[in-house]
Amino acid sequence: MKFKDYYESLGIERGASETEIKKAYRRLARQNHPDISKEEGAEERFKEISEAYQTLSDPEKRQAYDELGRHQPGEDFRPPPAWDSRFWQGQPHQEEDLSDLFEQMGFRSSQRRRQAAGVDFSIRGHDVEAVAKLSLDEVCHGTQVTLERPGGNVSIRVPKGVAEGERLRIPGRGGPGIGGGPDGDVYLLIQLLPHPLFRPAGHDLYLELPVTPWEAALGAQIEIPTLYGRVLVTVKPGSQAGQKLRLAGKGLPQRGEGTGDLYGVLQIVMSKEISEPEQELYRELARASSFQPRPKFTGGTIHV
Amino acid sequence: MSDDLLNPADAESPVETVELLTASGLAHEELVELVEFGVFETRQGAAGWSFHSRVVHQARRAVKLRDAFGLNPPGMALALTYLEKIDALEQRLRELECLLPR
Repeated sequence: MKFKDYYESLGIERGASETEIKKAYRRLARQNHPDISKEEGAEERFKEISEAYQTLSDPEKRQAYDELGRHQPGEDFRPPPAWDSRFWQGQPHQEEDLSDLFEQMGFRSSQRRRQAAGVDFSIRGHDVEAVAKLSLDEVCHGTQVTLERPGGNVSIRVPKGVAEGERLRIPGRGGPGIGGGPDGDVYLLIQLLPHPLFRPAGHDLYLELPVTPWEAALGAQIEIPTLYGRVLVTVKPGSQAGQKLRLAGKGLPQRGEGTGDLYGVLQIVMSKEISEPEQELYRELARASSFQPRPKFTGGTIHV
Repeated sequence: MSDDLLNPADAESPVETVELLTASGLAHEELVELVEFGVFETRQGAAGWSFHSRVVHQARRAVKLRDAFGLNPPGMALALTYLEKIDALEQRLRELECLLPR
């Protein structure tokens, strides 16, 4: 079994009081709670501090943990045999996590209390949470993902039309219940992999659509890529940068009926190298045009 | 590779109160208060309330906040309301970012 230093996880001394443990946990929970912190690794840190707190906040578990002595984090160790028979009914040679051991211990002590009171006792199995990172293509057609589990891998069907941040729930397929309790659920969080061209927002897709100044001025027919093949769009004469061209039904499919839209966002781009003949044409345009792009800048006094 | 293929619950199938409580770990009294605060929408089911499947995710979020910070139902209601507001703003931000060149 790998040793974990729960005191170090919470950043406290071994002799910390219950109040100090609680304070340290709350402060770290606020910093690392997955709903609050979007930082890389926050969720892992939150699990670590929660696990530490669950053991150290329970006097019985804390005493048992302290009896394990001090080891280096990650160091392989075996709990003392007396400790083993007191709290532990797992297979002696099975590779277990320290947290499983304390969970089982908590369960057994409350089970003992309940059984003493003549109450039937059962607890629900764990929920299993996993993340599926999907390409836009997989989202469009639906797919299957493989969930690696200790008892053997399972496949989960992902229906077409899921969106970024959506959670799929598979009831009753999580960890097994104990003492006749129901099995936990499986939750699959959907995340979309970045695409080189399309940016998803809900079921809509956005595509940057660069055009030349003359395409924007005179209008043009432009072939653009979509997830469903190439299509021709019309840029109207006098188009403005930032304008959105909507292609209905070319976004991501929704669950059930309907499909999102694809928006081409116009960008008027200028070549960095402008040749002498092009410059001459621009000069001619400058002479011929009366267009004033900054009408609001005229008049008034300028204070420096 | 196992041939056991798991099928997610249909997002449109309603969830009954008992299932919601079991899946989330929320107590019945807490659920009643959160419904009264208006953070969970209810429908009239065969046996009392039923809920849209997304409420299961909201309820689990509430329970995680409750356990991490020792929140009571008003605290859970407030935290959920703010978090959902942040979710909506982030969604809006993503849409607006899509309008900017990369």
